[in-house]
Amino acid sequence: MSSANDHFDEVTGLLYLEGQLDAGHAREAGTHLASCETCSRLLHALGKESVWLREALVAQDEPVPARLAAPPERAATQWGWMAAFGLAAVGAYTLWTGYVQPGIAQAEQAGFTQRNLLTMLFFSGAFWKGWDAMRSSMEFLAAVTLGLVAIWLLRKQWRHFVAIAAVMAALALALALPAPAGAAEVKHGNPNYTLAAGQEIKTDLIVAATRTHIDGDVDGDLIVFSSSVTVNGHVKGDILGFAQELIVNGPVDGNLRTFSQSLAINRAVGKNVLSWAQQFDLDAKATVGGSVNLFAQNADFDGQVGGDLMAFAQVLDLNGSIGGNAQVRGQRLVIGSQAEIKGTTQYHGRQQPEVSPGAKLGSPIEVTMVRRGPNYTRFRYYLHRILAWGASFLFGLVLLLIAPALYSDVVARCNRPLPAIGLGILLLVGLPAVAFLACITIVGLGLGIASFLLYLVALYSTQVFVGSWLGEKLLGAGQGIGPAMARLALGLAVLRVLSMLPFVGPLADFVILLWGLGALALVFYKTMRAAASTSAATAAA
Amino acid sequence: MSEADLARVLAQVRAGDPAAWGEIYRRYAQAIYRFCRRVLPAREDAEDATSEIFMKVQRKLGTYDSSRPFLAWLYKVASNHCWDTLRRRHIRQDRETGDLEKLPLEHPGPSQLDWMEAEHAGKEVRAALARLPDRARMALVLRYFAEMSYEEIAETLGVRRQFVGVLLLRARHQLRDALGPGGAHAISTGRRA
Repeated sequence: MSSANDHFDEVTGLLYLEGQLDAGHAREAGTHLASCETCSRLLHALGKESVWLREALVAQDEPVPARLAAPPERAATQWGWMAAFGLAAVGAYTLWTGYVQPGIAQAEQAGFTQRNLLTMLFFSGAFWKGWDAMRSSMEFLAAVTLGLVAIWLLRKQWRHFVAIAAVMAALALALALPAPAGAAEVKHGNPNYTLAAGQEIKTDLIVAATRTHIDGDVDGDLIVFSSSVTVNGHVKGDILGFAQELIVNGPVDGNLRTFSQSLAINRAVGKNVLSWAQQFDLDAKATVGGSVNLFAQNADFDGQVGGDLMAFAQVLDLNGSIGGNAQVRGQRLVIGSQAEIKGTTQYHGRQQPEVSPGAKLGSPIEVTMVRRGPNYTRFRYYLHRILAWGASFLFGLVLLLIAPALYSDVVARCNRPLPAIGLGILLLVGLPAVAFLACITIVGLGLGIASFLLYLVALYSTQVFVGSWLGEKLLGAGQGIGPAMARLALGLAVLRVLSMLPFVGPLADFVILLWGLGALALVFYKTMRAAASTSAATAAA
Repeated sequence: MSEADLARVLAQVRAGDPAAWGEIYRRYAQAIYRFCRRVLPAREDAEDATSEIFMKVQRKLGTYDSSRPFLAWLYKVASNHCWDTLRRRHIRQDRETGDLEKLPLEHPGPSQLDWMEAEHAGKEVRAALARLPDRARMALVLRYFAEMSYEEIAETLGVRRQFVGVLLLRARHQLRDALGPGGAHAISTGRRA
């Protein structure tokens, strides 16, 4: 800036104007300004800009809202909230003891020695051989708890959901990959796969093919993804099958776990059977050493079961023998003349069971008739509603405390119900489909199951978001945790009452589900998009 | 309220006098609300933030150094709170790197700034301000509303002291752009003129 032509840049001009240049530079700039009309004009203009900027900012353009007229009070613990907490805790405890624990107990009684279904399904299967040391439920729960604590501590660092998703995906991959790679033989059909009679696979066998025939023997577990599966050979481990049609003609020494449209068992299964199937058929020649857990539309049950039977079936035709107890839920139960149940028999259904006089029952059948729709005359119905409210309030509270930003964003997104409901319709169908597709690939199995579980959590959380939004409309937006809890409590109560209305209730529940799910997805989409654009900007820089 | 009166009232607040706290609140709530209103685009957010800031102030009053102006301290608490809110709620896209090379260094034409001054009433400026990236908006408000020093701005926004001038100038450019066709285009034409 020695001559009048060496104009200083705008930053220097601003720093000079605001007195931020050091003494030497300021002197130099002052000297230059004295002889440079261009820079003087620039400085004058910047100064004027500062003035109108200040004026625009400090202008008293709107009054202070009435709700800010009085100073905010410190939140104090109130008896009402203590009661709500107590109720919520009781609700959660009741849900646990009323639904979760009996389910676990039933699974244990049915012969599953692990503490929960997921553990039984996957952690003791071929995928999870490395988890043997962690099988005990206490260790598993301890690991989960530590993981949650770690997530809680790191949550401020994990602002990007994409990063969380990547970490979770990597974790799932890390857990899923090593075991099959090291301990199993993997076969891809072209398009079909046949293990010829006389051949023997010495390890676990994993097959993905259009049609699969296992005529030889498998020394370990058989894991199969196929349209049609026929097992004629001897499987010495477990069978885990995903198929349209699955026929087991050969002996299975271990467990049989299947997800198929139809399942036919014609030989002996050494341990337990767990099946999700539209059509289930246990042939008269078939035997199951352990217990049978069944989720089916139609089930023909003619074989022998050493343990218990737990069945959720629309129609169950029972003509075989059961060494233990039978617990059946469904629409119709037919117990034929050849049937024998040595233990107790419990039936929950909409029609009276048809029991043949020739059937041998260890004790008289206990029948509980299930009525369609709620029974408004029973106190128990209202008690359940209150407890369900308590449980959802507790869940919402945890969500509010763990992820306040996500919570408020989703509630804000509920302000536009139509786009949210539209997106909710897509996701309600789309997400399970994607999770299922992920499950089809071996690598994606862990990820698919995790996605599905998260999906269920998301579905449950929808009432919390919509309830909170509704509470805000009724009570107004207030600051702090106390008003947020009040909004949540009131909104959930209104939704609970709404869901109790005949005819309207189920429809309202469905709309709330779509609404909340869509709002949640919009927030995730926005967050991921922002993260992606930030990454792109960083990469470009 | 004189300094002595303020010190007396603050001492009463520290002693737990609710009436004194009410006096402090009534005196400063408007300024803090307006500050929040400038920084947080949504009115509801500004209302919530004002209440939360005063609850924070009540807790932190023991840390106030009476050698500093009380309002400046209040603005400091408010700016930290609002900046935390913005950071928590959004993944900021205005990732400033501090590279001076990135800054357009054309001089704004004085006639162009005059035009902007005449053309844009305060309301439009405030509306344009709400459209700025969080950090740019925050920088302008801290400097030209709260009258914070460059050091305080640097501390609040977590940038180097040397970068504050660049940050402010870039924010001004973004504001000019946000004000419409008279903004960036007029700057370059003004420079050529």
